[in-house]
Amino acid sequence: MLELTDITKLFPNGTLALKGVDLTVARRTVHGIVGANGAGKSTLFKIVAGALAPTSGEIRWKGEPADWSSPAAPLAAGISTIYQHIPLVPTLSVLENVFLNDFRGLYARGRLLKRYREMLNRVQYELDPDLRVSELSIGQRQMVAIMHALAHGAELVIMDEPTASLAQGERELVFDTVRRLRDRDDVTFIYCSHFLDEVLSLTDRITVLRDGLVVADEPTAELTEERLVDAMVGKRLASLESLRQRETREDAPALLEVHGLDSPGRVSDVSFTVHEGEIVGLAGLLGSGRSEILHAIFGSDRSAKGSVILRGREIDRSARAAVRSGIALVPEERMRQGLVPDWEIWRNTSLPDLTELSAAGALPTRAREVQRAERAIRDLRIVARSADAPVSSLSGGNAQKVVFAKWLYGNPSVFLLDEPTVGVDVETKAEILELIRRFAREGKGAVVVSSEFEEILAVAHRVLVISRGRIVAERRAAETSEEELLALASGLGAKEGVA
Amino acid sequence: MSTSATTTTGANGLRARLGAVNTEAFRLHNAGVVYALFVLVVTLVIATAVTGRPPYLSAINTANVFDQATQVGILAVFMTIVLISGNFDLSIGATGALAAGVTLMTLNHASVWVAILVGLGIGTLVGLVNGLLVQIVGINAFIVTLGALTAVRGVLLILTNGESIVTAKTSLNSLVDGPAPLNLRWTSVAVGAIVVAGGLYMIKRTRDLQRPFDLGAAGAVLAGLALVIVGIAAFPTHWPLTKQVWVLFAVTIVAWFVLSYTAVGRRLYAVGGNTEAARLSGIDIARYKIVPFVLNGFAAAVVGILYAGRFEAINPNALSGIELTVLAAAILGGTSLFGGSGSVVKTVVGALILFVLANGFNILNLGANYQPLIQGLVIVGAAAIYVVAGRRASAQKVRTGEIHDLPSSPDEVERQSVGEPTR
Repeated sequence: MLELTDITKLFPNGTLALKGVDLTVARRTVHGIVGANGAGKSTLFKIVAGALAPTSGEIRWKGEPADWSSPAAPLAAGISTIYQHIPLVPTLSVLENVFLNDFRGLYARGRLLKRYREMLNRVQYELDPDLRVSELSIGQRQMVAIMHALAHGAELVIMDEPTASLAQGERELVFDTVRRLRDRDDVTFIYCSHFLDEVLSLTDRITVLRDGLVVADEPTAELTEERLVDAMVGKRLASLESLRQRETREDAPALLEVHGLDSPGRVSDVSFTVHEGEIVGLAGLLGSGRSEILHAIFGSDRSAKGSVILRGREIDRSARAAVRSGIALVPEERMRQGLVPDWEIWRNTSLPDLTELSAAGALPTRAREVQRAERAIRDLRIVARSADAPVSSLSGGNAQKVVFAKWLYGNPSVFLLDEPTVGVDVETKAEILELIRRFAREGKGAVVVSSEFEEILAVAHRVLVISRGRIVAERRAAETSEEELLALASGLGAKEGVA
Repeated sequence: MSTSATTTTGANGLRARLGAVNTEAFRLHNAGVVYALFVLVVTLVIATAVTGRPPYLSAINTANVFDQATQVGILAVFMTIVLISGNFDLSIGATGALAAGVTLMTLNHASVWVAILVGLGIGTLVGLVNGLLVQIVGINAFIVTLGALTAVRGVLLILTNGESIVTAKTSLNSLVDGPAPLNLRWTSVAVGAIVVAGGLYMIKRTRDLQRPFDLGAAGAVLAGLALVIVGIAAFPTHWPLTKQVWVLFAVTIVAWFVLSYTAVGRRLYAVGGNTEAARLSGIDIARYKIVPFVLNGFAAAVVGILYAGRFEAINPNALSGIELTVLAAAILGGTSLFGGSGSVVKTVVGALILFVLANGFNILNLGANYQPLIQGLVIVGAAAIYVVAGRRASAQKVRTGEIHDLPSSPDEVERQSVGEPTR
């Protein structure tokens, strides 16, 4: 269906992103592409989508040589790309988004509705066409994006990190749709994800990229997770399972106590305690209220009621009071909530502690700020030209490390971490988890929210399962499993009360 | 492919960085407005010389331009602060006029200091109401201040019954207006010396920090020297400024210092650049969003009082439309309308451009009818240059490897962590 032969891409700055990639995608398959950050995946997709021109090499589409100079050409040929940050129009309805490229002449709602129903039938899904996209969950948006691709007759759909922010249940929904479209509708998929278990369970064939080269290309049936990781990283990584915390910290003095936290429609009656040196995981599906709990603790949710006590002292309900008393929040959407994108690394890292880094508390001392940023770059192994690099130029994992670095050298004693490893490659993920463990070894506390229960189990001492804004169960990490957590979070077997 | 700047790793990188020159301060997207003023002034100097008119850069004419630019300049400095915080204020003209009216009315019954205090209080109050409506109630700043623009003017009309207010007292005029000449020769020598010292200090510091040689600092040294030499050779000992111009100088210097060198300034840029990130970093957002409005109302009152002091009268339609000129000055100075970036010094240069333009039309006796057209073109042209030059600058950064446009390869992770010298 799609054949790439010896594709290279040399960027004007001298980076050789692709060093001769061959790729053949067969009709009616789901073709997985994996690789660590910087392996060349994004560049490859951009070339296929016509957003970048290859330096050399040939693209053949359905046997014909294709010379795509603009994104419109592959789109017209039937190739549609769904990017990580799905470009839907949030203020328009589902219906309008699905047929966004199809408006010609008058807006014939009746006809569009009819086509929309046919579409729902094809994907076996149900969604009110009049909902605004801004009201949808991320999984629903994903489905809208898929329908949008189908609406203009896509025969090949490229999904770039589609499930990075999906919870388990929604993930299955998207996967079922992909499989159904492959089997019944003759749609071919290229699927790219950091989640190797997903790639293994969904795809028919997997191509592994490393440093701009194809290092493996095999039927999925013949691959295992270990082999994939080996191929991607080129060396063995300790599996997350072996890192599981065996001990508990429940005897240590209480560090953070949360009592009767309540926020209308988001969080109800949440109480728990974090002990010194303890990492508490919040396991919940998307929309369960796990991020909302963090914001309620931090005080950035102004309507939240209840008390938050740090080392015996009650904290006022505002983000400012929380920061002052030593609580740090690493938010989920790092560019939108964590960083000032135009600023250099050093300006970002010093923001929470500006007073301490200033002469007389008022005049920031640049030398000290830069020093701190350079220390963070070394300590966290941030890949950047220098502390002067704007954070908008960093890759996702490195930007996330900068968000951590903001809090690293001040004196927070409790870290609230919302999806700390989302969209980050395997190696960086291990580094970030190790960083969290380091906080704990220093006697600090952490509350970690993650969609990946495997990750929560790997890092946390204790897990609280969240559903509909409540804590529905509590487990020691050593005494539970991913399956049990998933069952509890989806509302199965949640008979046990809250500890 | 690989110039010295591309492969900055290890010892090579260090050498490359020491040898590198930071020309950022002189790039078009940073210094465009200064070039524009320079070109404009040179054009006018040549034009006046060729047509045999009095020299453009005479002491009187330059002092005159500064005086004309003062009201817009003061307002533009504070408008820049509001814009940096991510907001917008249209109400300043009306607020200034109201403050002027109230000041004059009070003056007719009380002492000049009471009158000034009442005027400033009114302006500050309008700013506070704007700020509270925008930040606490959450109405869009454009709508709030558009409403304020009309309503505040309405208050003035009610108070004055639509008629002009005059005062017979001269105390306000003698306090806020009148000549305050500057000995420009020795001032420029002193300022030049300070600039040279500052530039030398910056050069030393960039060397100590092992940063690329900053051409901006070198430029400061040269500019300072030039200022000293030209000052001695050509500048007048009597530069007939007015008191009002000194107000512009003072607010510009204070605002520039606060924005560039204090924690307050940094937080203001953070709040405008990414409100959510600033909030989660523990910054009191409400304060940094409301205070600029309050300052802006205060500044509008100051300008209103200067206006009232100069004319000893106020017409209820005074200062109408000045907010658009003020915004034009801020835009010429490269201030972002989306918050998070802007410079008050460049804004003042922007205001000077507008008034040099107007003054040039007068001096060269070109029809005043052409002036608005030219002004409009200059504003849009300036914005176009900022956008295009800014885009080209970031493209160049990608080319020279200053920005990792692509996520770096795992291989590079290794190289950097091993090769980077530890300090």
